[in-house]
Amino acid sequence: MLTRADLAKYPFVAEATDYVRELGFSIDEIATPEFSPVLDRAERRLEEALSKSQISVEVSNESAEILSFPVSNLILGLIGDERARRRFALAEAKRAYDLLRQESPEKLEHIATTTFGWRLERLDIRLGLRLYDFGLNLADFLRNSVHLREPRWNLPNRVLNHGLVYVTREETARLMEEEVRMRVLERSSKVPASVPQPLGSKVERARGLVIKWLGIPTQYELPKVPMPDAMPPCIRHLIDNLNEGKNVQHMGRFALAAFLLNIGAGDEEIVKMFKPATDFSERMTRYQVEHIGGKRGGRTKYTCPMCTTLKTHGVCFKPDKICDTIRNPLSYYKRKSRILSGKGPSREFS
Amino acid sequence: MSSAEHLIKQKFQQFYLERNRTLFSPPAASQREYGFLLFKGKFMVRHRTFKNPETLLTAIRDLSPAHVYFSTAYYQDPTASMDQKGWLGADLVFDIDADHLDTPCKIMHDNWKCKACSTVGKGSAPKTCPKCKNDRVEIETWLCDRCLQEAKEETIHLLEMIFSDLQMGDANLSVYFSGHRGYHVHLHSEDFRMLREEQRREIVDYLLGEQLDPSLQGMEDVPEGGVLILKGPQWGEPGWRGRMVRGIYEVLTKEGENLGLNQAQLKVINAWDKANFFTKPFWSSLKGINAGTWKNIVQRAVRETAAKIDSVVTSDVHRLIRLPGTLNGHTGLLGVNVPLERLDEFDPFIESIAFPEGQVKITVKDSPEFRIGSQNFGPFHDEKIELPTAAAMLLLCKHKAEPTS
Repeated sequence: MLTRADLAKYPFVAEATDYVRELGFSIDEIATPEFSPVLDRAERRLEEALSKSQISVEVSNESAEILSFPVSNLILGLIGDERARRRFALAEAKRAYDLLRQESPEKLEHIATTTFGWRLERLDIRLGLRLYDFGLNLADFLRNSVHLREPRWNLPNRVLNHGLVYVTREETARLMEEEVRMRVLERSSKVPASVPQPLGSKVERARGLVIKWLGIPTQYELPKVPMPDAMPPCIRHLIDNLNEGKNVQHMGRFALAAFLLNIGAGDEEIVKMFKPATDFSERMTRYQVEHIGGKRGGRTKYTCPMCTTLKTHGVCFKPDKICDTIRNPLSYYKRKSRILSGKGPSREFS
Repeated sequence: MSSAEHLIKQKFQQFYLERNRTLFSPPAASQREYGFLLFKGKFMVRHRTFKNPETLLTAIRDLSPAHVYFSTAYYQDPTASMDQKGWLGADLVFDIDADHLDTPCKIMHDNWKCKACSTVGKGSAPKTCPKCKNDRVEIETWLCDRCLQEAKEETIHLLEMIFSDLQMGDANLSVYFSGHRGYHVHLHSEDFRMLREEQRREIVDYLLGEQLDPSLQGMEDVPEGGVLILKGPQWGEPGWRGRMVRGIYEVLTKEGENLGLNQAQLKVINAWDKANFFTKPFWSSLKGINAGTWKNIVQRAVRETAAKIDSVVTSDVHRLIRLPGTLNGHTGLLGVNVPLERLDEFDPFIESIAFPEGQVKITVKDSPEFRIGSQNFGPFHDEKIELPTAAAMLLLCKHKAEPTS
């Protein structure tokens, strides 16, 4: 079904992995001159991803195109920089999408079922103005759609019939992009036990590229003292409600306590915040705050619930521009505190 | 423990000790976590596991708990702490409860009480006390034929949605009466088992029609001959497309007047022939409704036809839920399996009775009229009476009565 040219376009497919295995070369051969186009291409793949978040399609040397993909993954695994891995996975996924969206339904179906194990049915049903090529198994759809944020990916806005989600060809390619991204991310997370000797210099060069394009990894520290101005609208709303003596539901209370704990507020401070609540019990509140902080009960330290969860429970409140770019109130805080303290990029919000 | 609780616990124990008693065993029973809510101190015993239904029954006989729960999730080690359990998936479950339904009889049998100023009232609890504006309002619910009938109809509606939209053929589905005010639907399916919380929440949103954007379900203003025409999906189409259309029809025919339609428009609606609905959007013959009214109508249609499930139960992948075949401490009724083909005729006040024999003397404070089996009881007000055990248990469990010493 897939030609060698296809494997060059889609080096993540099962057949490409088989092809590489059948070639049966050993790691030492990587150093031989015949192999240098592969190493060069592997490095270029990385540099393209890092510099412009886009990876080109080079069809002139098919084997190099196929073989360089696992080598890039291997190098990333050895570098172990998560930012680089994410950047690369996204760029490979976009590259795949641009190619997949032009393919025939047969080829899409082949890759989706054999490589991804999707349960996909051919439909060719027209509803209104749209032609749905496929019905995709609900679980396979959800696994990928939950990462996509446009309203058209929300299940209530889909056609769902007997466990099949109707998707157009373009949508299938988009969902496959997501699947590719997750798989590349997973693949590049595998760290080989030792650096294969011949790869040593390549890894060092690639590490240099990561620093050149992404900078030295600095873990941005959250402000030492909680910064109320950087709190998202939902959290500020919860605090206001408490102060006004209004009732705040369980999920709101949990979100508030977890948020405050995660930005470094002390237990006592948080307990005090709940004082205006009409049903305030200091003992109970302290226990619950300590529980959320992992000091009691299951000893799990909880993080703040995701925005989607807060939306479902009606905690989300007047989302602003920054909210469009984040999925968790803590990310909002991180970003806003960075802007307010003049340490981070503010270009998105100018 | 109060004297009522002592008696309830004793009756529960007698029930569980019966020689032929067997328990429902969920699929992969040994990978589940079990939990018991005890009468004493309302204490929760959880993180338990049992190799087989017999050892579980032995534990229940020992503890005689008010409620018995099992996890919808499967775990490698059900006894470990939450983050060490090793989550292996979970059934997809749905809960339909009269608490979430707007039944007209609640005004007759539900009471609320403000914990701050002790003001009391009838019906669903207000958000804040009308007298002192406090929000600590406690609700005391009752279960009546009407509420349970509506819960059953909602369950049937949910099942229709599951079968037509969600179902992937091989799923094994069971319906249970909770022994209180609602029904649980459990789906044991390999397909759904590994769904994570955020993925389940999508299914919840779908069933609730939450954030549904009609324009993404085919409702669009399309320019035609210089004017904008509202195009839409058609009656028989799958999923929300067809459901929305059926809902719009319901809303227009039932409450067109309240939505501000004029006589001419209502006349058009009454003249509609359903047979034509499959070929063209039926509202094309309805002229002069503005965009705002349409939006309102569509919203109502979605709300009317959505399945009124409890969103928390379905999205929680670590949920403990009532074990069928055990007693519900809120009522003394049994949580029972209801075969699908019998759901329509299922009568919870007959088929979930756990204590069919004997009489108990009780002192009733206050109780609305109710039915157990084919007999009606009450209303009672400050009376000493002797009632059949099942009826007396209901009043005792509902804190409406005390045993007469």
